[in-house]
This record gives sequence, structure tokens and C-alpha cells, in this order.
Amino acid sequence: MGSAIEAKTHKNMPGADKEADLTERIEAFLADLKRGGCGTGPIRGSGETARETTALLRKVTAQARWSSAGDLMEIIRKEGRRMTAAQPSETTVGNMVLRVLKIIREEYARSRGSSEETDQQESLHKLLTSGGLSEENFRQHFVHLKANVIEAINELLTELEGTTDNIAMQALEHIHSNEVIMTVGRSRTVEAFLKDAARKRKFHVIVAECAPFCQGHEMATNLSKASIETTVIADAAIFAVMSRVNKVIIGTQTVLANGGLRAVNGTHTVALAARHHSTPLIVCAPMFKLSPQFPNEEDTFHKFVSPHEVLPFTEGEILSKVNVHCPVFDYVPPELITLFISNIGGNAPSYIYRLMSELYHPEDHDL
Amino acid sequence: MSSRGGKQKKGNVTSEQEEEEQPLQAVLVADSFNRRFFPISKDQPRALLPLGNVAMIDYTLEFLTSTGVQETFVFCCWMSNKIKDHLLKSKWCRPTSPNVVHIITSDLYRSLGDVLRDVDAKNLVRNDFILVYGDVVSNIDVSQALQEHRHRRKVDKNISVMTMVFKESSPGHKTRCEEDDVIVAMDSKSKRVLHYQKTQGLKKLQFPMNIFQHGSDEFEIRHDLLDCHISICSPQVAELFTDNFDYQTRNDFVRGILVNEEILGNQIHLYVTQDGYGARVSNLQMYDSVSLDMVRRWVYPLTPEANFTDQQGQGCTHSRHNVYRGAEVSLGHGSQMEENVLIGRDTSIGANCHISNSVIGNNCTIGDNVVLDRAHMWNNVHVSSNVEIHQSVVCDGAVVKEAVRLNKQCVLAYNVVIGPNLSLPEGTVVSMHHPEEEEEDDDDEFLSDDQEVGHSKDKTRQKAFNPAEVGPEGKGYIWKASMNDTEDEELAQCLWGLVLNPDPESDSESEASEESQDRSRSVSPEIDDVNAFQLEVLGTLQRGLEENIVCDNLVLEINSLKYAYNITLKEVMQILTRVVLEYPFQQQGTQLTTLQYTGSLLPLLKTWSPVFKNYIKRAQDHLDCLSAVEELFLEQDTHQTAMVKVLMKMYQLEILEEEAILKWFSTGATNDKSRQLRKNQGVRRRVRRMSLRRKESAEDESSEEGECGRRGIKTEDLRTV
Repeated sequence: MGSAIEAKTHKNMPGADKEADLTERIEAFLADLKRGGCGTGPIRGSGETARETTALLRKVTAQARWSSAGDLMEIIRKEGRRMTAAQPSETTVGNMVLRVLKIIREEYARSRGSSEETDQQESLHKLLTSGGLSEENFRQHFVHLKANVIEAINELLTELEGTTDNIAMQALEHIHSNEVIMTVGRSRTVEAFLKDAARKRKFHVIVAECAPFCQGHEMATNLSKASIETTVIADAAIFAVMSRVNKVIIGTQTVLANGGLRAVNGTHTVALAARHHSTPLIVCAPMFKLSPQFPNEEDTFHKFVSPHEVLPFTEGEILSKVNVHCPVFDYVPPELITLFISNIGGNAPSYIYRLMSELYHPEDHDL
Repeated sequence: MSSRGGKQKKGNVTSEQEEEEQPLQAVLVADSFNRRFFPISKDQPRALLPLGNVAMIDYTLEFLTSTGVQETFVFCCWMSNKIKDHLLKSKWCRPTSPNVVHIITSDLYRSLGDVLRDVDAKNLVRNDFILVYGDVVSNIDVSQALQEHRHRRKVDKNISVMTMVFKESSPGHKTRCEEDDVIVAMDSKSKRVLHYQKTQGLKKLQFPMNIFQHGSDEFEIRHDLLDCHISICSPQVAELFTDNFDYQTRNDFVRGILVNEEILGNQIHLYVTQDGYGARVSNLQMYDSVSLDMVRRWVYPLTPEANFTDQQGQGCTHSRHNVYRGAEVSLGHGSQMEENVLIGRDTSIGANCHISNSVIGNNCTIGDNVVLDRAHMWNNVHVSSNVEIHQSVVCDGAVVKEAVRLNKQCVLAYNVVIGPNLSLPEGTVVSMHHPEEEEEDDDDEFLSDDQEVGHSKDKTRQKAFNPAEVGPEGKGYIWKASMNDTEDEELAQCLWGLVLNPDPESDSESEASEESQDRSRSVSPEIDDVNAFQLEVLGTLQRGLEENIVCDNLVLEINSLKYAYNITLKEVMQILTRVVLEYPFQQQGTQLTTLQYTGSLLPLLKTWSPVFKNYIKRAQDHLDCLSAVEELFLEQDTHQTAMVKVLMKMYQLEILEEEAILKWFSTGATNDKSRQLRKNQGVRRRVRRMSLRRKESAEDESSEEGECGRRGIKTEDLRTV
């Protein structure tokens, strides 16, 4: 292999070395995304994906050749399109691309000295008259723009690092002593949330196992290690057990633009049962999971994986006679959700549109 | 989740070790070395045939890359240029590819053995490598198997040479290839293979006792394994192939290693996985099921919409019931895509079509009221209205005209035109190449004689398409399934791989034939041999007549048959006579009138007279011949009158001498019937005339007197009886 590596380095001219390194990194990341998620959702947590995406975009900002904010935005858009296409179900990647684009817009505006312009569109009147900051205006060259953008992305990274802790910190406000909490499947955020609460309070957690992947088992093991009283139930028992539950706390894969959820399947069942018993349903979702996507975008909404978990390949003859599907996600409509807990505080589903406009620039919604 | 997470961690660990040690290498054999896909693979090598609109070799390379292979050697033989072009254009040869692909081509590879011997000769591999074929579709995570393999090699120095990856799947599974059905006996603890046998439809299987006598006390005998054709090999494997130049396939190798285990001390291990998917597209039956498995997402994440080859415009969307649509697909009013349908880009489908379990390539046009079920259409296919296609493969550029029905397991190879108004029966294979051209081409493969290729092409052009077979506007030739069963060692040529040889004589034909010879030698040779010889002579003469073979050559052939069956000269002559005289019956049935019989026989006698003359030389030969004639006419009582004409003709042709006939007439008469025969008017008159003539010339009174006197007595006798 020594020779092969040599050949590789020979191929790249010294000047283009940085860029080649960058493309190689991007390709590796794309390949990872494509292969990622063998059934149970992402192998890495979506938090990790978000951090990796942001770090990669920072690298792009630092190493790609660009002279103005417009160029940079074009490069980021191009790479962003490829990244989102690689794994459409992984919305965090797209979200992070939008965040970085927004950062570039803000930094550019600040460099021009019109910081009040970059405030949110306060009124309909302003929205109509704010066409001034269009593409060709991004052509202006600023010396410190690169440094500023990288600085801002670093801030974003720091924010991402702290999301889980920020959410967990709010646990004591929501979980009280001797409550019975239900959760479904495994979510790192919920796990941290419950563990944080368990430091001060005693409560009982019921975990729905979430077939066919049964991540609930792992969740229960982790919780019981933190000496939380834990019970695992089959998915079929969710409704039966719901009457005893004080609160349902779940995680999610994506928060959609309408305040609905795209979460691991089984969540809809839980949400409906909770509604029937008027049990509050709390969703722990960091802000990077907030996506400008709406639930009607059919093609990217679903994710079907190998049916192996539902009906093993070893079954033999029956497999040629039946069609087996193994969807990963459920859609939970916003009216079933009581509260979102994000790293910046608690919000009702009806407030999601507002958060959305704070996080992303409306012109970027379509990459 | 826990097991997955754990596995992933382990995978990471191994990859770290790899980085410390040496990169993982793979040998990809982009040639099948058999002709299961034949009329199709004549135009395109098997590795490039599309499966779910992606070339098969891309699946294999993606599999290798995702397992962390960093250097792949692709060996091509048949149509190596096409494979090379494809790879150079693909993402695998981009500078950013984590997997460096080296393409090695040679026309001299005839088997897997040749490839591995070349690997050894060129010293390409330095460490454990993964060996796969170019038509393997898999998403198995082999890092676990790799780790086990490395561990074993570390523990007991270089004893384990190969770890084969198998997937658990119970018998009766659609994706199990019947050709590759194996029975494996293995040590449960060490996973060492003790016995390995292809079942080949055998009912009885034998295991040598000694495999169970040493080693551990737990054994497994498994039939629920699907051979993924993925093997992790030590560098020694290539050396072993060099040492044993008779190894052709992996099967040979495995058997050889197991047989010589005591001597060489090499072992083979097994890795059985339950997760993941792995199968080799070894025939069209497998193509059908793997393609369907892919559309049903068993090979996730290698799904059609993932566009893992990273080609522009190949992407498609996935919606409910596993319906995939590429860009710019148009679907007519009332058309239904029921389930498991993949449609490539720029394809248009007419109104009121029913499509299920099918894959349709790019740029296809499909008319109205078309029913497609398990159809595999490649690119640029044109299908007119009112067509029905069931479980068939339609290759690039084929045209199916109106109201054609393709029944199960039809194959339309490249650029074939079918129809209109035709129903192709089950298992029809249509190709633009004439089946006879194929055999000549086969020779060309070895001779590489361009002149002959041109010659054969000219010949095919002369042959017209048969409108009864391919329709009035059709273009193409029907391939018969039995066309070249001599070609393949185990199976009749069979694209779909359905016809299994039920005989258990697959392991070695030579043994089988030896056995049959032994048997024939031990059991009363004469009767069998004489009968067989008679049939052979009949066949020889028949052929001689049809192909106008010179009599000298016929004699030569009969002589060789004589030695082959150990027949005496006397018997040869008797049989020859018998065969010739029975010939008209053989050809036209036993209901001939005497007149017809003689009519057809006499010219034959004339043609074959040199043959007779060659065998009938001595006086005794003449008598033997006559007795054979007599015997035959005794059996065919109704045609006794013809005897005289036969004798006359044979006399005229100077096959039989006058003297001999007279002698025969005078002697013989061993029983009543033969007497009756001689009494027959014609014979008597003829013989008398003959003897008269003889008397005139030889002036031999006494003999004539004696003859007459004896004859008188005979008639007397007959009357009394």
C-alpha cells in the first residue's frame, strides 16, 4: 500500500493539496452518511452528526477558494445539497447547512455595518421592503469576513456541544417526586434528562421496547444503571399502561416546521394513548433538530430499511410469498404534543414557526 | 441497538489496527468463467449487467469499500475493455476514492485458479485479502469475520488459510442458489470446516467417519447456509493454487485442502452470519430473486434511491409499496404500479398498465394496457401496447411489438425484435446471435482467429429469421435450451439454473464412465456388445447414406467398432447383412409389401456392395452371409419371395459367388422352415437356372444329377410333413 499512497500524493500538486484533502474529507463524510443508519437510525447520535457537519463546513469555509460571501454561500449550498441528498432522512445535516448560511448572511451584514438590517423581519411591511439585501450585494469583499464567519461557526459548535446539558438542566422543573414517566425507544437526550432528574427525585420510568429494533431495552438498562426504577413493556401494552402514567417524555428525530414530529415508530401510538388519557406529552428536542421541512414531502419523509428485523432472512420459503416493510419513522401531528423542551427553553408546538424564522433565513429554505 | 453499537465499535478497532498494520486488500474476479448468462453475456460481460439499473460490479465494489478495503485488484478476462472503461468512468477511479482500484486484464484466465496463480506470480497480496466475484451483492459486515480470521492466524501460525462467509437461510429460500447448495460439517467451537460437499440434488450424503473422530466433541452438520461467495483468504491461498495447478475453482480448493489436511496441515473455517445480505448472481434465477430482494430493500443501504454509485441523474425517489421512480418518468392515465417497481429515468409508460415486481431501465417506452410481472427490462427497451411479460429478462435495445406475450423465464437478448401477435413459450431465449455461431466462437476463444470470426458472422447473416418463432417483424434466433449441454460440466446450459442434473455423477465424469465400463465388462459381454454393435452399425450406415460417405470410410468405421466391441469377423458379417436387409423395415416400418421392400433394398445393396465385398472374401464367409440372409427371411415369412431377388442382386453385384449359393442350397436345411424356404418356387428356379448355366459351362453332370435327386427327396419329405 505504501506505493499506492505515494502515487496518491504524487497525483496531487502541492498547491492543490489542501483542496484535495478537503474533497477527500467531504467524500468520506458523504459515504459515511450513505452507509450510516443500518436500521436503528443513525449510528452516531444526531448531535454528533450535527457537530461533524458543522466542523466540515468550517473546514470548507477555511480551505475553499472564495473571495466574497456570495461565493462562499454558493460553495456551501453546493456541498449542502450533496450532503442532504446522501441521506435525506438525516435532517440535521441540512439544518446545519442552513445555520451556517444564516451565519454568513449575518456576518456579511455586520461587516457592511447595517446590523439593524439583519434583525428578524419585524413586520410584514419590513418583509415586503427588505428585498434590498439580494444576491449581488454579497459580492463585496471584506478582509475579516472569513475570520468572522469561522468565529461564528465556532460559537455554533460550542452551542451544539452544550445542547444535551442545557435540556437536562430543565429536568427538575418537569419531573416531580413519585411520578410515573413513560418513554419510548432510546433517545440520548431523554436519557440525560431523566438521569439528571434522578439525582434529586425518585420516580418510576416505563419504557416501551419499540419493536422491531428494541432500542427500549438498551434505554432501560442504562436507566437502571443510574438507579432509576425502570419497567420495560411491550409496544402492545402502551395503551393499557397509559392510565397509570403521569407524563410522557420522548425524544424525536426531527421537529417539523408545523410543530409535528418525525420520530421513531411507535411514538404515534404513545401520543394517541396519551391524548386519550389526557397525559401531557413532552418532547425533548435540541434546536438543531428543528427542520424547515413539512410533513407532506413524501419522498424524503419515509425511511424504509431492510426487513430483516421484522421477518428474518432465515425464514425461508415464506419470504417469497409476502412483502415485508420495515419503516423507521412515525409522524406525530402537532396537536398531540403538549410541550417542546429545547436547549433554549420550553415552547408550545404552535411557537415552532417563530423559532424557525429565528434560526434560518427564509431565502435558504430550499437549498 | 446494543449489538449493533458493539459491532461498530469493534469495526472501528479493526480499522485502527489496519491503519497500524497494512491496508486491507481484495481480489475481485470480474469474470464468471462459465456461460450461464450466455446469449446475454456475449454482448456484455456479466459483471456489467444491470441489477436495479446499476452494474453488478458496482455493488461488489461498494461492498468492499464499505468493509474498509483500501486496495482492490479487479481481474477481467471476457470483454475486459468494457469493464475497464466502466470502472475508469465510475467513482471508484476518482482520486478521492478510499478504495484504490487496480485493473488487471488478461485473455489467458480460464478459471479462478488462473487468476489466483497470477496473483501469486505478480506477488500482489501481502496480507489477508477478501476474495469475491464481480457479481456478488452484499451488505454483510465482514469485519467480524476478518477479526476472527486474523485471530486464528495469530493463535496457531498460518494454519487457517481461508474463512468462507455464509449466510444463514433455511432451505426453500428463494435466494438460495440450487447450484451452490452445500452441506457442511463443522466443528462448533472452532468453526473449522470438516467436510464440504455440494448437494447437487443428491438424496443420500456420505460423511467420512474420521472427521468426527478427532478434534472437539461438538459438531454441526448444516444445510441452512447460503454461500455468499465471499472468502477471506490468507496469502497462502494464492501459493496453494500455484502449487496445485489442477485447482480450478474454489470448490476444488476447499476439497483439496480438506483431503490433504493431514499432510499440509491447512484448515478452512466458516463464518456464519445472520445479519446482512449476501448472494451471488450465478444464474438468471438468482438474478431474478436478488433483483427483487434489492427492490424490497433487503440490501439496505444499497437501495436504488441511495444512488451509491454517485452518478449524475441516477437518483430516484422511493415511495410506498417500494415504488421507485427516476427523474422524468411519465405514467399514463390509469396505470398502476402495484408494488416493488423500479423505473429508471426518462421512461414513459402508457395508460392502463399493471406493473408489479419489475425493474425497468432508463429511456424505455411502454405502450398502453401492458402487464408486467417480474419483468426485468434494461435500458432503451420499447414495448408496444397490449403486451404481457411474466418473469422475463428483456435486454438493452430490445423491441416487443404489439400483443406479444412472454411467458415465464423468457430472455430477449440485446436488440432483439419480437412480434407482433405472438406468444413465446416458457423458457424461450432469443438472441441476435445465431446459436451455431456460438460454438465456432467458442473455438475462437482459444484460437483467437479473426478470420474465422468473420466467416461465422457472414454465415449468420445468410440465415434468415424464422417468422414463426419471432413473429412477422421479428429479428433474432431462438436458442434451444439443450444447445450446448456438452459445454458445462455439471448442468445443461440453462440460464435460469432450474434444470438440475439429477444424477449424482457430478464430481467426476471419468469415474462414472469407468464404472459403466466395468459394469459392462463384468455382465455377459456378448449379448450386450453384439446388440450395441448392431445399433452402431445401423447408425453408421444411416449416416453414410445421409451424408454420402465413401464406402471405404464406412468400412473403416465398422472395423473400429469391431475392435471397440470385441466382435469376431464372422459376427461382423452376419450383423452387417442383417442390418442391411432390415434397413427398409427400419426406415419405413414393417408393413411394407414385398414389392416395396425389394424396391428400396436393391439400390441400397448396390451402394453398399463395396462394404460387403470387403468382408466376404473366403468361401466360408459366403456361407455365413447366406445363412444370415436365410435367418432373416425365416423371421420375415411374408417377404420370403423377396429372397430370390436379394440373392440374385447379390450375385449380380458379385457379392456372393455362384458356387457358394449352390453349396448353401445343397447343404443347410437344418429345420423345416428353412426347407420350406428353399422349396420356394423362385429360389428353386433361380438356383436351378444357375446350376444349369454352370453345367453348361463346367459340364458337370453328376453334381446336377445329385442336386436333383436330393431335391426330390426333400420335396418328398416336405410333403410328408
